[in-house]
Amino acid sequence: MHRPNLFRSRDNDLDSMMTPMIDVVFLLLIFFIWTTSMAAIEYILPSQVSAQLGNQPANINDPPPEMDFQDVVVKIAWDGSDASWFINNVRFGSIDQVDEQLQSIAQVKLDAPVIVHPEKIVPVGLVIEVFDVAKLAGFSQVSFAVEHEPRE
Amino acid sequence: MRTARIPRSRKLGFSMIPMVDVVFLLIIFFLVSSHLARNENEELELPTAMSADQDEILDVPRVTINVRDDGQMILAGRILTREMLPARLTVAREQFGDEIEVRIRCSKQAPYSHVAPILLACTRSKIWNVTFAVYRTESGM
Repeated sequence: MHRPNLFRSRDNDLDSMMTPMIDVVFLLLIFFIWTTSMAAIEYILPSQVSAQLGNQPANINDPPPEMDFQDVVVKIAWDGSDASWFINNVRFGSIDQVDEQLQSIAQVKLDAPVIVHPEKIVPVGLVIEVFDVAKLAGFSQVSFAVEHEPRE
Repeated sequence: MRTARIPRSRKLGFSMIPMVDVVFLLIIFFLVSSHLARNENEELELPTAMSADQDEILDVPRVTINVRDDGQMILAGRILTREMLPARLTVAREQFGDEIEVRIRCSKQAPYSHVAPILLACTRSKIWNVTFAVYRTESGM
């Protein structure tokens, strides 16, 4: 009776075991590389923090004061569904108008500090939008206003 | 006198098994590390901005604070209260120095009142490198 030689066939068995294993490893690698590339890429928006103290709400009924170009304070009000914007207490109805106004200020004084001062309830998406518009207008000093809270 | 015989060295050959072992270990390592990295970054609907920069500086010591819709702050996979925030940032500032970056990953729906305390805590801890994580948009608002 013919018996198979175990020693002679060992190398062949090892080869046949290795091939599917390497296939699986490569499939895993391709899978992970593919899923990584599908993740949305995050970018960063460098910001400055302003030691801003003002926290008075903008008054719509007041007559529009003359623009003061020392500081450009952009206030954002939120009524739960719609936003209003105030540049140095002058009201603007849309972000496009804010964009135009900031661009015209930038043409006069590009180094004016811009302070984004939103109400507490304004969604962060809108705050970042105003910050972005100011940056795109060319202002280099754009910062966020934060209200001082009493220390414990 | 008889001298000890030096055994003939075995033939060196290319062995696949240790290589496959190493490959598997690498895969496990990357799986675990990517899982941990994902833990640091919560799944959030980030704000969009056109002027956003690419995150090119990788070796800066960084504290990433995630802010959910409801204002809950997450730091390194753990919930962070407002009371804990200044102390944590001060410790990080002392540990890493002036270079430290605080990255705010905030849901775009979250009210500003949840982000303002982080900014305030950063100023009090003398951390000036504060960045927001955003998605970049080409078309504007």
